Amino acid sequence: MTISSRERVLAAVNHEESDRAPILLGVSNATGIKMKPYRDLKNLLGIEAPENYLYDWPELGTAEIDETTMRRLHSDVRGVLDLEPASVMERNRSRPDHADYIDSWGSGASEIKPGQWFPMVHPLAAANTVDEIESYDWPDMDDPTRVAHVAGQAQKLADDNEFAIVATPWLLFPLERAFAMQGMDTFLMNMALYPEFAEALLWKLQGVCKQLMGHFLDELGPNVDIIKIGDDLGTQESLLMSPDMYRRVLKPIHADWIDFIKARTNAKVMFHTDGDVFPLIDEFVDMGIDILNPIQTSAGKMSNLEALRERYGTKVVFCGAIDTQRILPHGTPAEIRSEVRRVIDILGPGGGYMLSSVHTVMDDVPAKNIIAMVDAVDEYSH
Amino acid sequence: MTGENPPSNDYDSLLDALYDAVLAGNADQALTSTRSGLENGTDPLTLLFDAMIPALEEVGRLFESGEIFLPEMLISARAMQACMDVLRPLLADAASARVGVFVMGTIAGDIHDIGKNLCDVMLEGAGFEVIDLGINVPAIQFVEAIKEHNPDVVGLSAFLTTTMPELATTIDAINEAGVRGNTKIIVGGAPVTQEYADQIGADGYAPNAVSAVRTVKSLLSI
Repeated sequence: MTISSRERVLAAVNHEESDRAPILLGVSNATGIKMKPYRDLKNLLGIEAPENYLYDWPELGTAEIDETTMRRLHSDVRGVLDLEPASVMERNRSRPDHADYIDSWGSGASEIKPGQWFPMVHPLAAANTVDEIESYDWPDMDDPTRVAHVAGQAQKLADDNEFAIVATPWLLFPLERAFAMQGMDTFLMNMALYPEFAEALLWKLQGVCKQLMGHFLDELGPNVDIIKIGDDLGTQESLLMSPDMYRRVLKPIHADWIDFIKARTNAKVMFHTDGDVFPLIDEFVDMGIDILNPIQTSAGKMSNLEALRERYGTKVVFCGAIDTQRILPHGTPAEIRSEVRRVIDILGPGGGYMLSSVHTVMDDVPAKNIIAMVDAVDEYSH
Repeated sequence: MTGENPPSNDYDSLLDALYDAVLAGNADQALTSTRSGLENGTDPLTLLFDAMIPALEEVGRLFESGEIFLPEMLISARAMQACMDVLRPLLADAASARVGVFVMGTIAGDIHDIGKNLCDVMLEGAGFEVIDLGINVPAIQFVEAIKEHNPDVVGLSAFLTTTMPELATTIDAINEAGVRGNTKIIVGGAPVTQEYADQIGADGYAPNAVSAVRTVKSLLSI
């Protein structure tokens, strides 16, 4: 019996086994491949395709993967994204070379060497009062050019009914947005120094995010299987903030965010959160997330896949778990195959696992390693 | 342990207040205590060694044991930094305040600096003169800084797997320039491991700012 990619994904998200673990690649920044490894991949495979960027955003540097390569990667999903307003994209396209990239929020990136952009422009860096939040010139989320393409793209994918549809509007996450607006260290300090301000900023950001998410979900209609959201809450060895601070400040915001989405779509909610977030998974389950991504196996207790599976295997679907800090950049293809099998052996039984690289596939990952990863899944059916 | 001070309750309560303020990350209160201590004629070394450093050590202990997290540690570091800005000029001549020279930077191609900045404060709190070269620091600038400052330890930070190779490049450049001498090199940052540190010829590795102090002290046998 042959099943479609979409059926494979739907089985996994409903905790059912199918012929193999679904592969999620190329549908968002976190599941994406940077332009250099994408170029290498096309060369290795002899594929000719144009070099476009996710979100039409060269400074982000993540490739929009062409259909031939997506099929060769056995990717079981196709993505729908939003766009910055046409006017903002035009302003950035026509700015002087090497000048800062500034998005519609007023935050942005600086080029520290040719082609390498880092988020270093934080327009609310000095703010610590509620007045400064209220008087800020927040972006217009009703600009129709942000989502004008969404309905058509999603309808086409739904009509084809071959791949699961994963929708990822760019960074509609309150904490990540607060870091973009203030700088990560500044906002973390404000959480401790000015908790009322920090909380007010998070709720304000969430309100602005909701405006766009509402339009985005309206455009998608029923044509979406997974909505990807998230906030990075872990570090390499611990949590970004105490579980108590998370429960007090952010969890109500995240729970409200998930309720907002679930009131508008039947799609599963994938929550992306980097680092060692093991101590918070009960909270994530409690607020109704369906899929946890990226299972950063290099970070603290997230390396214990057996414990993850045992405690949360029936409560949440795992997506990710193929290490991008050591295995993918530095492993041999044989080591990668064996790691893929190890992960599938632990997380795969009973469904509930979708394979993806933990983070964006960066410039240090050889193309042959990407192929080794996806072929290992294809060869290793459960 | 240092300097002459009036043995009074006021004095004890001042040091307690300074300790509490650094521990709680209250920069305003820490500065007030520091200034009033100095006005009362308290030896700056006493403020440093009997209040601020013990507070910072407690912050490190609480961080490592998972009782506090980055927000609390960052505000304590900021309070410490604010007091050090006042004390530093007064300590310049006090050799006993300085256990060594530490040069720190985020390597070329990388701009992540939260860990680096915490290292600065923790090492300064441990008695080091800290020279921070900033972010996106080319290898040659580390070489020049070693020539200029003759540091006991150089700290190199990298946050991304794609910028991590620059740690090796920087260490190679230091070796090739023939300036390594007795200077110890430690490396750290999210993707860095002990194994990688060994492989590229670093003298030490630290996964976070608290352990950086331990690594540095053990390398220098202090």
